[in-house]
Amino acid sequence: MPGMNSGVNINDPTVVAAFKSALLHQGIIALLIFGILGLAWLTVRAWWPAPAQAGEQAGPGVQPAAAPAEPTWRQLLRIGFGLIWIFDGVLQAQPKMAIGLPSQVIQPTAASSPHWVQHVVNWAGTTWSYHPMQAGASAVWIQVGIGVWILAASRGPLSRLAGLVSVGWGLVVWVFGESFGGIFAPGLTWLFGAPGAVLIYCVAGALIALPERLWYSPRLGRAILGGLGLFLVGMAVLQAWPGRGFWQGTSHGQPGTLSGMTSGMAQTPQPGSLAGWVNAFTRFDEAHGFAVNLFVVVALALIGAAFLSGQRRVIRPALIAFTVLCLADWVLIEDFGFFGGLGTDPNSMIPFILLAGSGYLALTPGTVPAVEAASPAAATAGWRDRVRPASLRRSVATAGFGTVASVGALGLIILGAAPMAAAQASHNADPILAQSIAGSAAPLNFPAKDFTLTDQHGRTVSLASLRGKVVLLTFLDPVCTTDCPLIAQEFRQAGQVLGTASKHVELVAIVANPIYHQVAYTQAFDRQEYLTQVPNWLYLTGSVPQLQQVWKNYGIAAEILPAGSMIGHPDIAYVIDPAGHVREEFSTDPGPGTTATKSSFAVLLADAARQALGQS
Amino acid sequence: MSGRAGQASLLLAAALLAAGCASAVTRASTPASAAEPPSLSTSLVTSTGTWAVAVMGGSAAQHNNFWQLFVRPTATSTWRLVTPPGVASNGGLVMASLGAGSVMAAFRPSQDLSYSPLATTHNNGGAWTPGLLDAGLADVPDALAATVGGGHLLALLADGRAELSGPGGTAWTRLASYRALAASAAGRRCGLGHLTAAAFSPAGVPLLAADCTRPGTAGVFAYAGGTWHLAGPTLPSPYVHQIVTVLRLTTAGGTTTALLAAGTGSAARLLAAWSTDGGAHWALSPSLPLHGAKLTSASPGPGGTMAVVRNGSYAATVAAGGPWRPLPKLPPGTATLAPGPAGGWDALAVHGAKLAIWRLAPGGGSWAAAQTINVPVQFGSSG
Repeated sequence: MPGMNSGVNINDPTVVAAFKSALLHQGIIALLIFGILGLAWLTVRAWWPAPAQAGEQAGPGVQPAAAPAEPTWRQLLRIGFGLIWIFDGVLQAQPKMAIGLPSQVIQPTAASSPHWVQHVVNWAGTTWSYHPMQAGASAVWIQVGIGVWILAASRGPLSRLAGLVSVGWGLVVWVFGESFGGIFAPGLTWLFGAPGAVLIYCVAGALIALPERLWYSPRLGRAILGGLGLFLVGMAVLQAWPGRGFWQGTSHGQPGTLSGMTSGMAQTPQPGSLAGWVNAFTRFDEAHGFAVNLFVVVALALIGAAFLSGQRRVIRPALIAFTVLCLADWVLIEDFGFFGGLGTDPNSMIPFILLAGSGYLALTPGTVPAVEAASPAAATAGWRDRVRPASLRRSVATAGFGTVASVGALGLIILGAAPMAAAQASHNADPILAQSIAGSAAPLNFPAKDFTLTDQHGRTVSLASLRGKVVLLTFLDPVCTTDCPLIAQEFRQAGQVLGTASKHVELVAIVANPIYHQVAYTQAFDRQEYLTQVPNWLYLTGSVPQLQQVWKNYGIAAEILPAGSMIGHPDIAYVIDPAGHVREEFSTDPGPGTTATKSSFAVLLADAARQALGQS
Repeated sequence: MSGRAGQASLLLAAALLAAGCASAVTRASTPASAAEPPSLSTSLVTSTGTWAVAVMGGSAAQHNNFWQLFVRPTATSTWRLVTPPGVASNGGLVMASLGAGSVMAAFRPSQDLSYSPLATTHNNGGAWTPGLLDAGLADVPDALAATVGGGHLLALLADGRAELSGPGGTAWTRLASYRALAASAAGRRCGLGHLTAAAFSPAGVPLLAADCTRPGTAGVFAYAGGTWHLAGPTLPSPYVHQIVTVLRLTTAGGTTTALLAAGTGSAARLLAAWSTDGGAHWALSPSLPLHGAKLTSASPGPGGTMAVVRNGSYAATVAAGGPWRPLPKLPPGTATLAPGPAGGWDALAVHGAKLAIWRLAPGGGSWAAAQTINVPVQFGSSG
């Protein structure tokens, strides 16, 4: 998956500082959103007191005056998953996330999945790696926003909509972030989080989105537990399946499937005591792999069967056992899931407990509300009635704290999604990647030394003849195997980024090889890098003395290295303004040369050219 | 439990089970394929010296392994490093004799370099003149060949094309494409697999070699009269039902030498074949069983001699008309063999950035340490 890894160090201080700064600025905007909303709400309530009449039409999302209590199973789901979404959002704000998520989380997760899964996931990972600041921040605010929304809206259309948004975003994360929860990968096991924590968020979101008439039916509880039971029985069968390595603690001196996974988890940076527990379990599994797997298979099968029974007296002890099993798995096998600076969520066990608990609570028949029909005006009012100024005024005046907080949460989601959507409109990567690799450019202002050389078509070209245009100047070895081809690609892309402005810019390279310097090599290099059709591309060369003079004038040392090495020379670009003055010098070391960094350098070069054009 | 919930759960469980089952399936074994040409590590004898190519660095990363060219001038016993400068050699080096002691080295593509810079020396590597092949050379030791006088060059490219140049390695033109050769009458008779070597006959006729999917057919093709003809040796009856691969094809001293592998897997055997008339007639050696070993190097020597290295440890030589003769067990790290100064053989053993030369006297029973060269490998310069 070449596009997913931006190649930039996940701890790169430039990127980390920029990510923190973006979060800080957006955090201030988030506070402003809530502050303004709160102020407006208080003001409106002061001006337009809520109508006291019974049966007054309530606005959308407004709790009817006599509505029954929200059932406990729904409260548990809503509060539980609301807090988890907020926690996940906070985890997304970890400094390593902006750069590390695609390469250190998404890519390894997808690595064992089929090619088509990798292809799908690669698209998202590449998108992220092009805009790490915006993507990282958007994940923070969207998830915090969903969490706040689910917590704040306890009933009504806004609450159900929060559930649906949770399902939608959850599916995005499940597909692109968790590679479909790894269900197509060979090592699939409930112990490690199958079918993906976020898929459970989606199930919870769907339950939250259910209409109120379904809230009080005990059939709902049986359906939740029945589905979960069937899933657990399936997982038990999968866990027992021979040939998957779960029955062996070790195999040919190597850890078995489970102990191999847990020993890997123990390497995650975390408090020593936690790693000690996971290591202890690993050793125990290596010694008693068969017994451990037998216990897991039997436990999953029995708990699943109990859930399927639909009988409260059987389900209750099974629920306790399931909770204990989940907690043990969460600590000893999943290792809490959120340590190491790149944990995105607390993994699947807490969501499983919440889901099973809410299913159990939903078994208790609730009181079917009679009040939904007690507001005939609301029932018969059409959308035209609802959007009339008087109705809207009433709605605003009667809006509760939950409604206002929900609107604020929606603002948070938009705050996160809008910059990412705007970034998506551009196919170019964020220049922060290039800045993190090359460092800051040095602003300069001195006359560029002239030269007269031969271009790839055999024509004589001097720097003076390019006066009136911005010159992006670099030095490339035509038989170089690494950096030079990448720099040439970045120059070509910079021309594309410049668009119509590129007619005022010349992309110029000078040969940096004292042996392979003839025009034939510049032509071969141009063909190799698809530069033959770039009208403002010049690849200049000359005799060795001519080249040496230019190298000297521009601080280039082209060193012949022994033993099969390429020519050693610095990767430097100069920005020369239309008046012939050097305005900037920056390193063009292309770093890892990924699609993201190449695009990022192209943007950096194009921005520098535009700036030089503006300075003329 | 409601019916719909039950159905959905059943589907989920079935999908998960299917995923689990799929993961448990092991890959079926694939049939044995044709033998592969040996590595680029080889040697070459010219009138002014003996040349050898080996990869050095010892790194797991290809960009930290650099191919090196060494020469032992005629009448001396000392090797020296003469890798042509100016290009990274990570992709490999291929050499061809241009006659009169001149040698051309070609750099194989590597990383983002897709074409093959060339370098020619007329003074045993004292100075190099740059040249250009604007295409990527194939990853076989016989990817580049020259006519006896060096007037024309023949290059086998990575994409299966063969290109012919005028004098001095200029004006390259396409001689054949894989598709055209496969579609020719000769190609169909062979059931063309992969192209494996390029050479000229002593008379200057372009030759290409391949593995043939049709059993018993040795894929040597000669280009005459504007068409390609099968010009490989006719194999005796034990091999008529076996897949044959031409591993090496070289011409020196008026003799074209082909190294063949007949059979696949552990049943594969090596045969050498010699022709002095461009493939009209061939003399065949006895066979040498490979016993499933990998042929790591094959080096042509004077008079049609061929020295082969199996698994880097075991070597054997064969001369025109003679039997295979095993050599003493090779020193550790042996990359290739080259003819020695007094008619014996030199083993070039690589240990990271150090090259150890071990010498075997004619008829000798053991290898003797002769020389060590510390190569200044520039680790990190290509990555």
